[in-house]
Amino acid sequence: MNGAQHILEAFHRHQIDTVFGYPGGCIMPLYDALVDDVGVEHVLCRHEQACALAADGYARASGRLGVCIATSGPGATNLITGVANAYMDSTPLLVITGQVPSGLIGTDAFQETDILGMTLGIVKHSYLVTDADALPGILEDAIELAQSGRPGPVWIDIPKDILLADVHLEAPALAEVTAPERPDIGPALAMLKAAKRPLLYSGGGVSLAQAEGAFRAFAEASGLPGVVTLKGIGNAGRNNPNDLGMLGMHGSRAANKAVDECDLLLVVGARLDDRATGKLDGFAPNARLIHIDADAAEINKLRPADLALRGDLNAILDAFTAALEAEPLAIDGWQSQCRTWHTTGGFRAADNEESLAPITGPAFIRQLSGIAGDDTVIACDVGQHQMWVAQYYRFAHPRHHLTSGGLGTMGFGLPAAIGAQFSDRSRTVINVTGDGSFMMNAQELATIRRYNLPLKLIILDNQCLGMVRQQQELFYDNRESQIDLDDNPDFVAMARAFNIPALRIDRTDQMRRGIETILAYNGPMLLHVAISREENVWPIVKAGGSNKDMIDEPRKTQHRKEQVA
Amino acid sequence: MSPRNDTASQQFTLNCRMAQEPAALERLCRVVRVRGFRISKMAMEATGDVLDIALTLEGSRPVAMLKAQLEKLQTVAGVELVGTTMARSRTA
Repeated sequence: MNGAQHILEAFHRHQIDTVFGYPGGCIMPLYDALVDDVGVEHVLCRHEQACALAADGYARASGRLGVCIATSGPGATNLITGVANAYMDSTPLLVITGQVPSGLIGTDAFQETDILGMTLGIVKHSYLVTDADALPGILEDAIELAQSGRPGPVWIDIPKDILLADVHLEAPALAEVTAPERPDIGPALAMLKAAKRPLLYSGGGVSLAQAEGAFRAFAEASGLPGVVTLKGIGNAGRNNPNDLGMLGMHGSRAANKAVDECDLLLVVGARLDDRATGKLDGFAPNARLIHIDADAAEINKLRPADLALRGDLNAILDAFTAALEAEPLAIDGWQSQCRTWHTTGGFRAADNEESLAPITGPAFIRQLSGIAGDDTVIACDVGQHQMWVAQYYRFAHPRHHLTSGGLGTMGFGLPAAIGAQFSDRSRTVINVTGDGSFMMNAQELATIRRYNLPLKLIILDNQCLGMVRQQQELFYDNRESQIDLDDNPDFVAMARAFNIPALRIDRTDQMRRGIETILAYNGPMLLHVAISREENVWPIVKAGGSNKDMIDEPRKTQHRKEQVA
Repeated sequence: MSPRNDTASQQFTLNCRMAQEPAALERLCRVVRVRGFRISKMAMEATGDVLDIALTLEGSRPVAMLKAQLEKLQTVAGVELVGTTMARSRTA
């Protein structure tokens, strides 16, 4: 068996049946081996960045390892944004690139780049294979490492001669799974019981640890009011009365208020990102902090923890649940206070009652949320539409919400949706995007068509880079700079050019019919939704500001909109 | 610069032990730079597949944070703080 065949053998051993890639010179031995392989479906995207983002979406939606493949040089560098995206959001990814033959490394050979050096800051770990017999062991280590502890991308750069070389060593036996760490929860439990206004703050770490069930059991047993980060949306499910939703820059007033008032913050699987906390000096000023996370380096990184529990979230949360079921918390008054805040300070954009009124982002997303089934996956891009989805779509599960949190990658949504659709062909997957983001990976319409994926695309088109325009309006004295996209292509005609049917709507009374039409269609379909250029995401905290200084929609704007309606 | 930037810059020495591999030193130095520290002195010795590296560093961020980030590198076997050798004031 040569090196390339060993890679496929590793895929089989680990039940990796779908990979996303793009062939080229130095990776050709692997593509040659794929010709004779029947167990691995290779998905050809139309740009390597989309391969990495599709593998990321596949992993997020399924909880399995995502795999992407590219050649050396531009193939490898095109992967970088996608891999950085996975790194920032801790997605388990195996990245395989071809490299120029060993003897040519360092000679500035055709399509040679030092991809190992370029990517050190965006990988959990990486390998340059220098000995063919080391390849089976490296593959085993990489596959395990990408998925263990705090997951992340692991990159293997393989010179062409090693892909072709006979490999004499077999893969080592699979390592035994070690029992998860179970730190003593006693002191944390005592701190929790002593608190009068304890608040649960959960993030993407819950689903990364596959601890969704343990988290819900804990949330129910504790009755703790909870806020979520962008990546934690869905942790509490659709119907937890104590869930206050997203906090932070575009979080709800209720969520930020609860953080401000709480006397204990129980952080579960979150890294206290600046978009969530706002200015740290003013963040949870009255609270002690218990930090539960898989990654020791996140503890005390930004805000010192009064107490930390590092280890497997399942084990830790189960221990809390058992203790609290035996002796529940007495926090009725605090719960009821938080529910009142949620009623008065939740996300509350008004719907237009007038049927001919222009469509607004919040109203559209709310309607989509009401029509789409509980099991629907929404893959967002980045910008205003992303925040409206976070604010107004009610997610039943965190893996239903695919969003580029840490890196904020425009162009993420379409390939991520493709990846999610490959993880389950029968699922309804919708890419909700903006006119700016859509154009960043629009070539992937060809991938949808090639594999006849039934996924749905919704473009909320405001003819501009809305989030940038909004910040220029609010924080740069309304000096608009390079945000106009009023020369966008005709998106309906564009989709049709890829043989994907499409329709356009622009009035409130067309929303329901438009959504129902694309969902009912047996195949891919695009809905082009024209929305107002002037709509902003509310509330907003200025970057670097304190969450206490949230800015709400000015009354005069509300009034103007009512008049238009 | 840092969310927790103290005004005092400290100088200290870390002893790191890590596995030899193509990018070993680069990984270590990258983490030091990105996390806000400056290398003022460095000594390395390779023994078989093991590298022992003594780093004298300057920086105003918490050294425990840097230590945790270095320990997170897959090829780092251990990081030991052998002493804060100097402290001087510096305005931000």
